Amino acid sequence: MDPSEVEFLAEKEFVKIIPNFSLDKIYLIGGDLGPFNPGLSVDVPVWLALNLKQRQKCRILPPEWMDVEKLEEMRELERKEDAFTPAPSPYYMELTKLLLNHASDNIPKADEIRTLVKDIWDTRVAKLRLSADSFIRQQEAHAQLDNLTLMEINTIREFLLDSLNCMYKLRSNLQPGATKGQFGDY
Amino acid sequence: MFIADIKKDFYDVVANQRVALLVAADIDGLCACKILQALFHCDQIQYTLVPVTGWQDLSTAFLEHKEQIKLLIKEDDDLGVPTYDDIFRDEDEEGEEEGEGSGNESDEGSEPSGKRRRFDEGAIERRIERQRTKRQWEARRREILFDYEQYEYHGTSAAMMFFELAWVLTKDTKDMLWWSIIGLTDQWVHDKIPHMKYVSDIATVQRHVSRHNHRNEDEENSLSIDCMRISFEYDLRLALYHHWSLYESICNSYYTACSFKLWTLKGQKKLQEFLADMGLPLRQVKQKFKSMDITIKENLRDVIEESSNKYGMKDIRIQTFGVHFGFKNSFLASDMVHAAAALLESTERDENDPTDNFIKALDSLSRSNLDRLLSGIDLAKKKLIAIQQTVASCICTNIILSQGPFLYCYLMEGTPDVKLFSKPLALTMLCKYLLKAFIHSTRNKRCKLLPLIMAAPKDVEKGTVIVVGIPPDSETSDKKNFFGRAFEKAAESTSSRTLHDHFDTSIIELKSEDRSKFLDALITLLS
Repeated sequence: MDPSEVEFLAEKEFVKIIPNFSLDKIYLIGGDLGPFNPGLSVDVPVWLALNLKQRQKCRILPPEWMDVEKLEEMRELERKEDAFTPAPSPYYMELTKLLLNHASDNIPKADEIRTLVKDIWDTRVAKLRLSADSFIRQQEAHAQLDNLTLMEINTIREFLLDSLNCMYKLRSNLQPGATKGQFGDY
Repeated sequence: MFIADIKKDFYDVVANQRVALLVAADIDGLCACKILQALFHCDQIQYTLVPVTGWQDLSTAFLEHKEQIKLLIKEDDDLGVPTYDDIFRDEDEEGEEEGEGSGNESDEGSEPSGKRRRFDEGAIERRIERQRTKRQWEARRREILFDYEQYEYHGTSAAMMFFELAWVLTKDTKDMLWWSIIGLTDQWVHDKIPHMKYVSDIATVQRHVSRHNHRNEDEENSLSIDCMRISFEYDLRLALYHHWSLYESICNSYYTACSFKLWTLKGQKKLQEFLADMGLPLRQVKQKFKSMDITIKENLRDVIEESSNKYGMKDIRIQTFGVHFGFKNSFLASDMVHAAAALLESTERDENDPTDNFIKALDSLSRSNLDRLLSGIDLAKKKLIAIQQTVASCICTNIILSQGPFLYCYLMEGTPDVKLFSKPLALTMLCKYLLKAFIHSTRNKRCKLLPLIMAAPKDVEKGTVIVVGIPPDSETSDKKNFFGRAFEKAAESTSSRTLHDHFDTSIIELKSEDRSKFLDALITLLS
């Protein structure tokens, strides 16, 4: 999967906006989007929020988890635990990037939030790499990792699967009675 | 067509149609164009952008698009229209018989014709009276039109007008505000509006700036460093000094160069004295401003102001605005004007297509094209250095001649950087600086009140020169330029082959062979 595909899926998440125009309820294939009244907040998917923001028709409100204190707590928790703690949101990385690129003037303390989210991401990916490394090295048969987000899985997916394939090929060549043809693969 | 309410009469009409935007090649037009583009993007209005450099371009573009598009918006900074800035043309444009002047004048013009219609059924005496009033009215109309067209001057910046439109639609953003500031500063840098008007426009803009800053700056909710911050600065009148060294900037800004008379040895010594007086070591002053010692930079503006008062430069500081975004990008409005003007008229070898230059200059105005802007600043530095050197050589070789009612100067073909001065904006800037320098260097009191006409070769193959006239330099001038009509009349009377193509009527193109008889005609006309 391409990271841009993951971002596309992340854009389906809902976020609160305050429009400055009025429109009746719109009926889309994916669902209904409530009537828009200027000054009243309404939940819309991120793709619509960004489009309206770029046309200066709304103001985006930061999601609840996008708060400096909450993120600091999560970062501390993540650093203490060995296993993965629940992520701020299943798409926290993509949403941070999208919202801070397009609507940073609506989000207070945007720079600190960016740093905190990056810290959380770094910690989690480091744990992931460690865990993948031990998995491959010890030739485990199965593993279970909770609380991973799609973006993190996508980051490690190609590498993990390729390296497991390589290990399998190497292992099957070590078995006695291996056919000669297998050396030709490399 | 003159518009009273910009939103109702203009934007709402345009909103549902396809629009052609014909933009003149100057910075104010560019800024207004950017603002309009942003507004159109918001509302998804289709538009076509056509850069035009003169009346001929305008008419060809109009004819090309005539079938598809019904409304045209032409924007340049305003020339000679006393009150309104948008010139809005319709395909079925009627001949304006009722007078085109400002509100008052058109009222006067239309009133007698109204009376005329009421006398329709009447006796012969009434008919005679009608004819007489009609003749009077025609005479008055001619007079009004002559007055109207005699002087040419600039009104409010087009970019500011469009920002007001955006504000009325509550779609104004900091980017648009910054573009309107650049448009206003362009008028000041190129000396198109009097100082008083500049100051009052700055006050108007300052209200918007504080509104935007107030909305976003809060103790707890401070803004991301990447957001654009516009701040009011009472900064020095040294061109590009933040991106150059202080010494170079002082040598190449016309205000300081003329006050010190830096083309003379005595002037150079005076400059050294000035620097010593402020306690600035030469080594610091000659290195890049950004790497100057922090302790020196802290009070620099006040120190310079104090010292420059002693040396007779009372207005070294000017009110302007600066923008900051990111950690290292800060620009003053005048920096951006110089950069964009240099890009617009760049004569680099591979960039000779005017549309290309237009697009490059347009790009440099947006925040995301910093390298374009920086290349513009480099070009602007070269341009300023070239101007300064040309001014110095002109004064030292005395090629400014007094022709009676005006001063005249001709740049020979072999002069270095003469290609740079085949462009109208650069030549006008050179003209202005030269006049100021001349006034400072001459002892003849009468010459100080004369206007200046300057000619430079434009196209060597076609053998044409570009001629520019500027009014005399005075503190309280209202910047009205009468050379437009004067050039036309002189050309008519001597049947010289001239091209009055430029939107600014005081800039024309002339065949070099007709130069002398054109000048003689001008002398007789203006004396």
